[in-house]
Amino acid sequence: MGGLARVWHSPYAFMALLSLPAAVMAAALGGGGASAQRLLDPTGEFAARFLILALMVTPLGRLWPGARWVGWLLRRRRMLGVAAFAYAAAHLALYVKDMETLRAIAAEFWVLGIWTGWAALLLFLPLAATSNDAAQAWLKRRWAQLHRLVYPAAILTLVHWIFVHNNLIAALAHFAPLALLEALRIAKTLKRPNANTARRSRGAVTERIS
Amino acid sequence: MKFASLAVGAACAFMISAQAQATGLMTCESGDPAKWQSKDKLTKMMQAEGWKVRRIKVDGGCYEVYGTTPDGNRVEAYYHPVTLEKLLVARRGEILFQKK
Repeated sequence: MGGLARVWHSPYAFMALLSLPAAVMAAALGGGGASAQRLLDPTGEFAARFLILALMVTPLGRLWPGARWVGWLLRRRRMLGVAAFAYAAAHLALYVKDMETLRAIAAEFWVLGIWTGWAALLLFLPLAATSNDAAQAWLKRRWAQLHRLVYPAAILTLVHWIFVHNNLIAALAHFAPLALLEALRIAKTLKRPNANTARRSRGAVTERIS
Repeated sequence: MKFASLAVGAACAFMISAQAQATGLMTCESGDPAKWQSKDKLTKMMQAEGWKVRRIKVDGGCYEVYGTTPDGNRVEAYYHPVTLEKLLVARRGEILFQKK
């Protein structure tokens, strides 16, 4: 295997890629060049981007079944999900630091653009905690059921993004490809009602979400 | 899957073009920045009214102030850079004040 191919297949290279924005932001924060407030938007945006990418894997697999690049993505889906959670946790930590007092946080809690963010993070907690082989083996079928929480969490994330900035464009631009893929996936499922059972009998274990 | 490829391509194009759009809540017809009042003056004016000012940047030709109102709300406030008139105050996207 050549050097480039090795990098392409290495999970560590992918992890490093996912950590790159965090490294840049941490350097900016450590160097005093950026306040917590300035890093609020970028951390939230990267959390949403990785969430969207993780969610795109399943519908891409439906549309291009058996494609090698989909397999490549599928093997990295958990990393994308965990990275999304890590950026969301950093986003919350920066928010708390920027707000300074609990009173200030409580005062704006029920603003639509705020409680939706809290709710999304709350839903991500059990997902991140069970994003490992042991939890997957332990929960068996219930693991897939639990991880469907990612869909309401994604919708909450979208609502949080739209309303916290009172602006549709950036949030919709990010979520549009996912929405489109989900629409195509649903259309395909409706057209071939027994497609799922066929997939299942072929033993697609982790691909059971529909 | 030709349709799916096309549709995904179109979505990516939309995504890239949308990134180029302005995202501010307010725009100001404020002319030459050389004739604007200083951020310092706005800061002092707001502090005198009981605001805490954390950061001021230019957005859509307006001064956009990140700060805390006299009643303790963390907000973004837009001011006209020439008249220093308060135009809009929003708390996490929720509009608290808008000049009529």
